Amino acid sequence: MYKRLLASLLRWTLRLDVGINKVYPADFNPLYYTGGLSNLFLTILVLSGLFLFFYYVPSFNEAYVTVQYISDRVPYGQIIRGIHRYSADGFIIVILLHFFRNWFTERFRFSRDEPWISGMMLLVFAGFIGVTGYVLVWDQRAELLVVMTGNALAAIPWVGGWLRNLLFGGPGLTNLLLPRMLFLHVGPAVTLYIMLWWHYVRLRHPKVWPPAVWTLFSLGVVLLLSALIPAASQPQASPLAPPTRLAVDWFFLLPYVALKYLTPLWLIALATVIIVYGLYIPYQLPETRAELGLRESGIAQVIDANCTGCELCYYDCPYDAIVMVPTPHPGVTKAAQARKLLAIVLESRCVECGICIGACPFEALELPHFLEQDVEAKVLAACRS
Amino acid sequence: MPELGSPPTPQSQSAPAPAGAAARRPKIVGFLCDWAVSADGIVREDGTMRELPNVTLIKVPCSGFIRPSWLEFALKNGADGTFVCGCPLGDCFNRLGNNLIQDRVTQMRRRLERQKVQPDRIATIYYGLHEQAQFVAAVREFSDRVAQLPAPPPAPAKKPAGVSPARPADAAPSGPAPAPEEP
Repeated sequence: MYKRLLASLLRWTLRLDVGINKVYPADFNPLYYTGGLSNLFLTILVLSGLFLFFYYVPSFNEAYVTVQYISDRVPYGQIIRGIHRYSADGFIIVILLHFFRNWFTERFRFSRDEPWISGMMLLVFAGFIGVTGYVLVWDQRAELLVVMTGNALAAIPWVGGWLRNLLFGGPGLTNLLLPRMLFLHVGPAVTLYIMLWWHYVRLRHPKVWPPAVWTLFSLGVVLLLSALIPAASQPQASPLAPPTRLAVDWFFLLPYVALKYLTPLWLIALATVIIVYGLYIPYQLPETRAELGLRESGIAQVIDANCTGCELCYYDCPYDAIVMVPTPHPGVTKAAQARKLLAIVLESRCVECGICIGACPFEALELPHFLEQDVEAKVLAACRS
Repeated sequence: MPELGSPPTPQSQSAPAPAGAAARRPKIVGFLCDWAVSADGIVREDGTMRELPNVTLIKVPCSGFIRPSWLEFALKNGADGTFVCGCPLGDCFNRLGNNLIQDRVTQMRRRLERQKVQPDRIATIYYGLHEQAQFVAAVREFSDRVAQLPAPPPAPAKKPAGVSPARPADAAPSGPAPAPEEP
């Protein structure tokens, strides 16, 4: 059931790719660069956020005023604020695209669970940062968000009130609230970069930046949006006129819309289930290669005698499964005798793709169950038939 | 269809081409990535393609697995053309395999030019999992193109002396100098 669903989703994903590839050359297909695009948006966010940070004062009296000051008085403040708002939306959109695309194309298989897990963390953190950002403005929507979050957290049995106090600094609106939100906006944003390191650590040559065309396009769209639809606050929050309705940003505040239909406890349970399931995705299909209809090529093996320590396989292995170590002894062949390094395959990271075999000009690597002789025998059989 | 160069014969020679292709069906060996075009339904049990019996497909774990020397090996052992099929460029399941083989084949075509082997006998084709019809069409086009190529120069005469080790010995290794026989 799940497998059939995944297969049809894969079919549609690839069909979409084919359609886009008809318009753009395959190298420029934006769907191949969703990761790089999210990095681009994150960079825009950090730069514009630094600018806003210089002016922002996290207190009930001044937060709203300083944000208005940025909009009205600071040169280009309105534009920068708009850039911050709209690139945040772009960020969450491309992250979700990245998530679904890699899910449907099964890019979590074999030893690729590490990027997947860190990616899920990045997604959760990005959503959280977005919500705290909406609170910082301290308009009526912000107040409503705080009240709704507080109520939802308080609905958790036993630990609910404690969690709410931890997040907001106490029951109700305390003076600690906005400084805490500011920290929870900036702190996790820094954490995103730590998670990104984790996201990339097993990837050689990650595509961290989109092609220039798409960089310029995204920048242009964000600029255009911030000029055409200026990012604006709602009326200032005040305890005298409590807000009644929520102006929704559909990309970040979707859970709060769900609160209209679900009790807080159900919403939190649902969110937990979704996140846990997301973390579980790479382990859901514990299929062996045989069940997938793939050959068992075996983990790549280094042939000690031939390895010259040239590092070509080390550079080409897409998953950093090859490390170069100081060689304990010289190799056997003439080219390998003067080597200083020796390639080692880390078995837990190898996905048996054989890219290192194609990289090696010295025949120092092999897939144990799919040797060069096997390929050449097949070629000979094909030529003779 | 990247990497095939400009079509040598737009329409004028397409009429005699099928006759030629039928008379001398080019023997073609193709390397097919496991993650690229699905081989279900287009390949017979012995690896030849259903619609193009002169084409044999060899499945490999990733297009980046292929050593360019295997393509050369196929050409030297009687194949008239070889090609590599991987996932669409930029969408390799193993992230970079098809870009790597693309670069390697490009370099190899240059090398083959110096060895008087028509580089058009080698191609790279990139199609995704479900694009079987387009894949078969591309292979057919490649096969027709190989059929129209002039016969390869009599390389076997050079072969007993050993092709690659002999070259630096009798001529400078760079440039078009090693041209002992003209086809």
